[in-house]
Amino acid sequence: MIEIDSVSQVFQTSARQDHLALSDISLSIENGAFVSILGPSGCGKSTLLYIVGGFVQPTEGLAKMKGKAIKGPGPDRGPVFQEFALFPWKTVLGNVMYGPRQQGVKHSDAEAQSRALLDMVGLKGFEDFYPKELSGGMKQRVALARTLAYHPEVLLMDEPFGALDAHTRTRLQNDLLNIWERDRKTVLFVTHSVEEAVFLSDKVVMMTRSPGRIRQIINIDLPRPRRRSELLLDPRYQAYIVEIERMFDDSDENELRP
Amino acid sequence: MMKRAAPFLACIGLLVIWQLASLALKNDSFPTAVEAIRAIPSILGDKDALVNFGASIRRMTIGFGVAVAVSIPLGLLMGRSRTVASFFNPLLMVIYPVPKAALMPIIMLWLGVGDLSKTLVIFLGVSLPVIYHSFEGAKAVEEKMLWSGAAMGLSAAQRMLRIVLPAALPEILTGCRTGLVLALITMITSEMIARQSGAGNILFNALDMGQYDTVFAMIIIIGAMGIGLDGLFERMRARLVHWSEPQFDIPLSFS
Repeated sequence: MIEIDSVSQVFQTSARQDHLALSDISLSIENGAFVSILGPSGCGKSTLLYIVGGFVQPTEGLAKMKGKAIKGPGPDRGPVFQEFALFPWKTVLGNVMYGPRQQGVKHSDAEAQSRALLDMVGLKGFEDFYPKELSGGMKQRVALARTLAYHPEVLLMDEPFGALDAHTRTRLQNDLLNIWERDRKTVLFVTHSVEEAVFLSDKVVMMTRSPGRIRQIINIDLPRPRRRSELLLDPRYQAYIVEIERMFDDSDENELRP
Repeated sequence: MMKRAAPFLACIGLLVIWQLASLALKNDSFPTAVEAIRAIPSILGDKDALVNFGASIRRMTIGFGVAVAVSIPLGLLMGRSRTVASFFNPLLMVIYPVPKAALMPIIMLWLGVGDLSKTLVIFLGVSLPVIYHSFEGAKAVEEKMLWSGAAMGLSAAQRMLRIVLPAALPEILTGCRTGLVLALITMITSEMIARQSGAGNILFNALDMGQYDTVFAMIIIIGAMGIGLDGLFERMRARLVHWSEPQFDIPLSFS
């Protein structure tokens, strides 16, 4: 589905200084997989997602979607951002309908689909609200519905639950899994939370701190549908978390050494 | 209730102070508030005066309208394109601190004392705040909002028109509101420098002839016009951007 081929990204921080954000990343993501990119902040994991989204052009290397080089954003790859990025001048329904309308879907069809999606993300009754009237968790539900509405083949989620409180975050994780388990879209999910990555993913890509390199790829072999209450007691789930945490601890110690 | 009445009470208070001050000073060139207010109906009933007002309002409307139509697109483009911004920025930096009325003599020299000169001065006065606020508004548009639009298939031009413009609208309208007040100010000053017609013309003719009650009546009328226009605009603004996050501004108006 997605091929990332020796991608590097250099940002010019000032006239003389360059910052190597990503170094020689190669990764392939199969159709229908839930893949998390996990790493400390500043490791370039979001940049990698933006490159797949076509929002950022890599300095070197190439990202491909279904064999074709990614040159820019497109409705086959739908982003969901930590900042929600809703259109504040549109109602909840207007936001969700925006993509389908842009794709040329008839108004009445777009409205019916959008209402159904809002029902699915648990926002029935909030169709005519404006984003400013919603809580963070509700805003992110709208953002998810808005992206799902134009049927992207890949969901690109950039720390989508990072700005939410722990309780809301857990509920949204559960709901995301429920929705995902219905149609199994390919998901690329950026997070810095180990639990979140293990709970949601088929595959966790661990990245090192700057410059971002792939440190290890871990397959999460846990049964689906996953239920949090069962997983928390599952020794395999606990083992994955301990294993990943330990690896990050090791690398932190290496960095602290003089 | 109290909140709505407060600005009117302030006006009445001001008039009372005026009345007392002029009674105490007993100066010919400082009529009492009552005398000034009494002179208002005769001005508003005079056909010549109304023609003058009409001319003022026409110039102001055209100057303001053209300025807004040019400044919003320019400001938005500057806010989204570094090239456009670096081209126009030095130009605006030079024009910004110059009082627009100070350009009036040169403009009159080139374009005469008629409508064109005065409308141009109004245009210049209105443009800068509108450009500045449109620029700031466009610059502040969240990158991720534009990315979301791009992923839905919006072209660069569509993103400008359908994301940058509405997202920057609250800021743009703040600029327009400042521009509206400046339009009124430049309108009067331009008529003061190039006396020919207009509300400013009536005011300064009256001053020349020592009709001080008319002078003060005109000041009240012009002031009321400003308050009225600003109130109307504020009402329209509130309706257009009711969706935006509330901001901490005490509205300086009667709306």
